[in-house]
Amino acid sequence: MSAEAYRVRGGRPGRAREALVGYAFVLAPMAVFGVFFLFPIGYAIYISRYNWGVYGSQGSVGWHNYGWVLHDPIFWRSMRNIGEYTAWVVPAQMALGLFMAVIVNQKIKARTFFRSAFYFPSIASSAAITTIAIFILNADGLLNKALSLVGYDHHTPWFYTTTTAMPTIAGLNAWTTSGTMMLFYLASLQAIPNDVYEAAAIDGAGRWRTFWKVTFPLLKPGHFFVAVVSILGAVKLYDQAFIVSGGTGGPDYATLTPVLLLVQEAVQNIRFGYAAAMGVILLAFMVVLTLAQRLLFGRSEAA
Amino acid sequence: MTAIEPESFGPPAAAIDNLVTGNVDGGGPSRGAIPGRARSERAIRVGAYAAMTAISLLFFIPFLWTVSTSLKTLPETAYFSLLPNHWSLQAYHDVWTKYDFARYIENSAGLSVAITLITLVVAGLGGYAFARLRFPGREILFFGVLATLMVPDQLRLVPVYEMLVKWHLINTYTGYVLIKLGLATSLFLMRQYFLTIPKDLEEAAKLDGAGYFKTFWRVMLPLAGPALAAVTILEFQGAWNDFFWASLLLQTPDHYTVQLGLAQFVFQYHTEWPKLMAASVIAILPIVAVYLVFQRYFVAGVASAGVKG
Repeated sequence: MSAEAYRVRGGRPGRAREALVGYAFVLAPMAVFGVFFLFPIGYAIYISRYNWGVYGSQGSVGWHNYGWVLHDPIFWRSMRNIGEYTAWVVPAQMALGLFMAVIVNQKIKARTFFRSAFYFPSIASSAAITTIAIFILNADGLLNKALSLVGYDHHTPWFYTTTTAMPTIAGLNAWTTSGTMMLFYLASLQAIPNDVYEAAAIDGAGRWRTFWKVTFPLLKPGHFFVAVVSILGAVKLYDQAFIVSGGTGGPDYATLTPVLLLVQEAVQNIRFGYAAAMGVILLAFMVVLTLAQRLLFGRSEAA
Repeated sequence: MTAIEPESFGPPAAAIDNLVTGNVDGGGPSRGAIPGRARSERAIRVGAYAAMTAISLLFFIPFLWTVSTSLKTLPETAYFSLLPNHWSLQAYHDVWTKYDFARYIENSAGLSVAITLITLVVAGLGGYAFARLRFPGREILFFGVLATLMVPDQLRLVPVYEMLVKWHLINTYTGYVLIKLGLATSLFLMRQYFLTIPKDLEEAAKLDGAGYFKTFWRVMLPLAGPALAAVTILEFQGAWNDFFWASLLLQTPDHYTVQLGLAQFVFQYHTEWPKLMAASVIAILPIVAVYLVFQRYFVAGVASAGVKG
């Protein structure tokens, strides 16, 4: 009420002034978005149609950069790597995150402490976490020592063996990011009203049954959200692969991810056109993935 | 059953609000009213404690091992003793003085503080305008801001890198800060918080003749403490821990952040474990300190970052 009165008194000039101030206040963020987000989308597509090096454009190549990317066996090797990584890390993150969320959601003492403890690895930097993992997972490291105590006496250099490198990075990231997934699941769990549980209890359902028949299905929006966040994060894998392999993607391309390849092409080889085309193709993949997930979850909802 | 289904994609707003206010202990299945449940109750509780303790140990052992190793001497790392026989701060001393980590920490601190402060001001002003001021095109512009969250860094990388090369901003702090100003999540967080503040206070300020900026600065900002704290944590952690953009844009050792310095250290001194672990501890410690002090705002930051999708 008072707002209206004020505005009426202020009249038209007051409103124009408000609008001007409004534009002034959002000017800085809008400039950042325009220059560093909106413009680069178009510019990426523009660059992708040229042979573009240190000295700028060296002639149009039409859409050929896209064809070259799609016919590059190394590109497909990196896609296979990231597919393998995603297949390992997403289920691990989701299962661990859900498990921890359910535990922490119980009415017990010290759960704030445990929640913080589970979230702790999520706050450490990827560089530090990877360094620690390199130490613990080296041929003479703590993990192999622990395994030798239970009878598996091998000196596997986990990050430097072609078959174990990617699953090991997946395990590392499942460890460090499941705390974040736990928080997302926790928010979803707390959105389920108590009467549902009470109804289940009156029906005589046990804990186990209640979880699988009531809680788990009701968490569907949570599952969808966590899956999307987890997959989109997985596709971007870069830091750990870079640090583990010294930027090469080795051994024998085993840790070469699409983003790492993209960076190599852009920053080391300065093939901007080619790298830009790769970026657009990756974006297309991510959009398709998200849509596919939405379809998948949407359909099961209808059923 | 349909009535209780949370309507949207993602953690629902009410739960996020609880997380933001730190009220995460509210929910949870309640029971106890049903007779004959007491014993299974206790069994579940014991099981939960056991599981939580086991996971916590698994989560902490690598960090404990790291700290312990950083206090050992190199020959001693060959023996798997939990605690060092000879406690030594030599590794920290070497890392700090001989290997330039003092410089890297300085760079990291400067950049993180700069990015955080700029974001607080810009996102604060912008969030206030989007929440309270009326101007044509406001909704479209705000939608545009949120849409930028959909632009992945891989797509941005080539054009942004090319632009920075052209403007001679590669390997400069300015270029790095400009790129790291993500803003959208912080702007969103500020706007949502300003929307919850009652309008009466502003009206009073306006009737007292305060202008828009003064109203923002004197009335709105002091009320937005929790949102400002969440933005601070979110941005500081994002900047301090960043490896991706730092590795692309900061190319010479004098510009390295602590994360880059650490990665280079790994490449060069592959088996100098005590020093590598000391460097890792140095890279993590500032964030741990912030985490311990502002724990509940960390949760709020993550939760809101989730809303963006």
